[in-house]
Amino acid sequence: MIPQYKALLAFLIITAAATATFLWVTRNTANKERLNPEAVSKLRSRFAITCALLLIAALALTLPHLPYPRGSEIPDKVVFVAAKQFAFGLSEAPIASDAQWEAASQGPAVRIPANRLVEFRVTSLDVNHGFGVYSPGGTLLAQTQAMPGYVNRLRLRLQNPGRYPVLCLELCGMEHHSMRGIFEVFATGKE
Amino acid sequence: MSSPTSASSAATPRLRRNTMLWALLAMALFLVSTLLGLFLRLFQGNSFPAVEPVWFYSALTLHALIMVGAWFLGSMAGVHYLLSRYVRPSSAISELAMGGSVVGVVLISISTLLGKFGVGWYFLFPLPLYPNGAWSPWATIVFFAGLAILAVFWLAWVLDLLRAIARRYSLSMALGWHILRGAKEPEVPPLVLITTVSLVVVTAALVAAALVLALFVLHGSGRANVDALLMKNLTFLFGHIIVNITLYLGVAILYELLPAFAGRPWKTSWLVAFAWNAVLLLVLFAYLHHLYMDFAQPRWVQVVGQTASYFLSLPAAAVSVFGSLALIYRSGFRWTMASRLLVCGVLGWVIGGIAAVVDATVAVNSVFHNTLWVPAHFHTYYLMGVVLMVLAFFDHLSRELTGSDTDVPAAGWILSLLLLGGYGFLAMFYYGGATSVPRRFATYPEETLQGVIQARVAAAFVVLLLAALVIYLSRMAARCLRAFALCRNAS
Repeated sequence: MIPQYKALLAFLIITAAATATFLWVTRNTANKERLNPEAVSKLRSRFAITCALLLIAALALTLPHLPYPRGSEIPDKVVFVAAKQFAFGLSEAPIASDAQWEAASQGPAVRIPANRLVEFRVTSLDVNHGFGVYSPGGTLLAQTQAMPGYVNRLRLRLQNPGRYPVLCLELCGMEHHSMRGIFEVFATGKE
Repeated sequence: MSSPTSASSAATPRLRRNTMLWALLAMALFLVSTLLGLFLRLFQGNSFPAVEPVWFYSALTLHALIMVGAWFLGSMAGVHYLLSRYVRPSSAISELAMGGSVVGVVLISISTLLGKFGVGWYFLFPLPLYPNGAWSPWATIVFFAGLAILAVFWLAWVLDLLRAIARRYSLSMALGWHILRGAKEPEVPPLVLITTVSLVVVTAALVAAALVLALFVLHGSGRANVDALLMKNLTFLFGHIIVNITLYLGVAILYELLPAFAGRPWKTSWLVAFAWNAVLLLVLFAYLHHLYMDFAQPRWVQVVGQTASYFLSLPAAAVSVFGSLALIYRSGFRWTMASRLLVCGVLGWVIGGIAAVVDATVAVNSVFHNTLWVPAHFHTYYLMGVVLMVLAFFDHLSRELTGSDTDVPAAGWILSLLLLGGYGFLAMFYYGGATSVPRRFATYPEETLQGVIQARVAAAFVVLLLAALVIYLSRMAARCLRAFALCRNAS
């Protein structure tokens, strides 16, 4: 199951539990009773502790999976990415000028070996853009921002060969929706 | 706890009249913004193939700013009114804020609708300076002038409410620090505590907004080379807090109104004071989840962002939400349209909050950031949360001021239609996020064409929502106008 569906499922389960609790409480509002403050306080404490433990567990489970690069890993390949209204230039050589960006954005797709650690060094030559990597089937796999003056390093290990589109995920102007880039993942051993 | 009816006895006719005007203004802006929202979803559903995308982005900018502005002002008006039970805020400052808000909204409307200025509500640096032929420099200037006017007048109103609170309560007392030290007296109403927390934080947000505007001017005039990451931090510090605090002001109204329907008090206990002081601290760091995908931010900052965002939900869940449910459980709760809206508002807050916590997980944000999941969660706690809470207040007050106590027979149906339209519309956002559909796209590329059909379905639900709103708000607007006339005659 893709991470998006796992997150959706978790959301739906917790939401269903919360909604059911609300419905149960709202169906039990008619008969006036004096509540025992100690019992309410005890229940509240249990609820708060349960919530806190769930949050701590979620932190412990998810923080080891931060998408930021670790210095201990050395990428097998580096791809330089420069974003500019309204295309991504991807190249195996650094992109520092508009001319290089134009050549990179209009040239053939960069080729990346499957199952190898690739580092995308992403920057922008004008405004903020979002470097969103999609699978050939249209699922968002990962992303980082393309910000002027900064280089964001996104590391990926892509297993399936194919042409991977890149969409801009930060509003960057009137043609934001049509801004894109592309790269190709090939099965190792073919090249 | 006194009933909401007694609130009117403390309010002057001028305050009542102003509050009704604020209600009318917020409702009018809300309807305009919802219509713009319908246009956006229809556009994404390819309903206007001949219209240039530039109109989508300018409408998107206006939609967001009007919606946030309308309910920030609506919740401020509600809090201002209810605070008059305890302190004396200035009606003149509120009137000034209203004038400034109208001017600001007009300028932003001119900039977006005539000037085609379409950079999103957050005008992320340096995009406004890179029009690429889409808008003229005058549109940028008018937009920033409108924002500056809003910031100045809103800040004046915020500071005046803080001044009014400070005349009766010291800051430490208003924040309940004596209760945290174990004292029982003097009592501080939750409304005062939550409003103080909210307004202190809003002040920081508006200062950040002013700084962003100043840095834009310095950069645009060539007098400084401004750092994009700093600007993004400041922008989201301001933007996230304004939206977050609008919600908390709605919750302040909840704390004041709900006890009247339940017939039980809701006092500032040690736990309530602790929870809202924790909010005061955590909310300043929660904005960092907007920058998870800026890998240049230090790793520890991102960890702080996730931790703060997670634990910001704890006081809300364990104190305010649990407290609401405990308050109404077996209380002989009085169900009216207003009280139904309040309870539905709490549920919307919870559902939006759950989605927010999911998205505040860095590992999940990698695949949800700037997809439709993001508008899904904030539309939930906004549209189905704070909007319902503030509408509950306006509904209740307008009935009280006009003496029309009973709900119309169709109230239940109207609310059902509103919830069906609202949650149906939101479901398409959630589904869109889970299927990788990007947000803020005028049209969808071939990889995410599922977004087109989702947008069409969402638009159908928005039509249902609008139908419910038109019926409900037109009746309430008529009541507000009657109340306004009565208050004017009384003064």
